[in-house]
Amino acid sequence: MHPIIRLVNRNITISINPGFLIWQVIFPLIYIFVAGFAYTSLIDNVSFGNKSLTYPAFLASGMIGFNIMNSTLVSGIIIWNDRRHGMFEQIMSGPFTRSHYIISNIVTIAIVGLISAGLITAVGYPVFFESVEFTLITIPLIIFCSITGAILFGSIASIISTRIRSSEGFNVIINTAFLFFAFVSTAFYPASGAPQPLATIFYLNPLTYLVDIIRAGIFGTITEFIIMEMIVLAVLASILFIIATKLLTKLDF
Amino acid sequence: MSCIEIHALSKSYNSVVAVDAIDLNVKSGQVFGFLGPNGAGKSTVIKLLTTLIQPNNGTISVLGINALEEPLEIRKKIGVVLQQPSYEPTLSVEKSLEKYGMMWNIDKKTRKKRTEQLLESFELTEIRKKNMEDLSIGQRRRVQVAREFMHDMDLLFLDEPTVGLDPSARRKLLDFLKNKVKETGMTIFYTTHVLTEAEYLCDNIAIINNGKIITVDSPNELKKRFGNEKTIKIHVSVDIKKLETILQEIPDYKIEQDDGTTITIQSTNSEIVLMNILKILNHNNITVNDLSALPTNLEEIFLKVVSDSDASNN
Repeated sequence: MHPIIRLVNRNITISINPGFLIWQVIFPLIYIFVAGFAYTSLIDNVSFGNKSLTYPAFLASGMIGFNIMNSTLVSGIIIWNDRRHGMFEQIMSGPFTRSHYIISNIVTIAIVGLISAGLITAVGYPVFFESVEFTLITIPLIIFCSITGAILFGSIASIISTRIRSSEGFNVIINTAFLFFAFVSTAFYPASGAPQPLATIFYLNPLTYLVDIIRAGIFGTITEFIIMEMIVLAVLASILFIIATKLLTKLDF
Repeated sequence: MSCIEIHALSKSYNSVVAVDAIDLNVKSGQVFGFLGPNGAGKSTVIKLLTTLIQPNNGTISVLGINALEEPLEIRKKIGVVLQQPSYEPTLSVEKSLEKYGMMWNIDKKTRKKRTEQLLESFELTEIRKKNMEDLSIGQRRRVQVAREFMHDMDLLFLDEPTVGLDPSARRKLLDFLKNKVKETGMTIFYTTHVLTEAEYLCDNIAIINNGKIITVDSPNELKKRFGNEKTIKIHVSVDIKKLETILQEIPDYKIEQDDGTTITIQSTNSEIVLMNILKILNHNNITVNDLSALPTNLEEIFLKVVSDSDASNN
């Protein structure tokens, strides 16, 4: 078995635990089925492209992107956990190179991202199936988002992991990042209804691009703006991946 | 055949010299002890040998492979138990062993067999289902050492492996290691602060201080070379003040009050000092209750070698 596959196997074993699964499934489900329907009285219909979506359909599709971000941020902290528990040095003194370690983490994060996206798509489908417009690129778009989003948010978590040693500092930063990504985005509410400065800040957040692309894939509303968002997302993911790799390569013992 | 060959090896962190141009040659099939006080450079040397860090100068050959050119090839053939704990908190003890074997590409059947053997050898059977985060420091350390035997290796680095172990677990680990070397012909590079351990286990010992290797030899040879200062204890039933008065002309001894009075002679000429003391005691009609000669142990030699080295540096 190739060293990367062995490390991915190990990463998935240590990442998938009951707490993680509950967090990954229950948390978005509560949002979709509780917040989604409860807020319907406040937010009736949301316009997306040339479509008018029910709020639960808008939220459920946003939760796919949210879950990719959430799961990959969590699995991205494998590096931090490995450093904290001495496993980084242990692995690096074994039959692996830093490249094996970095690639295995990205693959793990991408797998977790894909599974999360699939999971929420499956459980959220009853909520948004009426508005779904499948095209040839719907599935490829969701896969693109899962992988690009996983690399992007996984790289952010990796960068934080390489820079911070203390658990207090790490928790503060990762939770702040989570709050910004989750709530300063169009995952939960449309940018159009928000005050202009806030709507602008939404577009400084990569999660906004991610959920826009996912919604475009699901509801068949691909526009030039969506293609531009895909390019921005891919470029940003590549830059962050290079930075994360450089920092990991320089990480000392 | 040499297992480790180091020449003019140096490593500095900023302006601090951790390893200072050392040469070392370790033969295969032995337990090689690497001793030194805290901060002497032991762990840095292990990190250099296991290719975790790069030297500033010098050459390293491990198992005949150049560490600077082919570090991965070395890491495929060695085992490493580093000083700091390493574990997967959410995995059980048996899952930790099993997964570690998988990481080393050991087939499933062998993994299962070795897991059972190691659980038994390291007395981990009762806690096999416990998560690593729920174990005591000593239990975790036992798993950490046991885990390394899930894979085959020609050379094993053990950096203070007995930290946190109780005396019984410590002795069992030392015996396990001795047997492994005998059975497989592997080499063990072993660091410890417990010098009785080194004396019990090691075929050869190097002492490092301030980044420099001071001496390399077998424990017996070290005793012969540095252990010429013998310790002799004489127990008498006389008041300490009287003894101090009558022995005031004699050098290299000290007197302690216990249930009687003990005179301890520590000298390179301890036999002559003993004769002189016995003569005086006889002259003063003082009866000797007990007389014992203590063999020189490695700890005394270690302390002497390190303090001589510190003195010469100053």
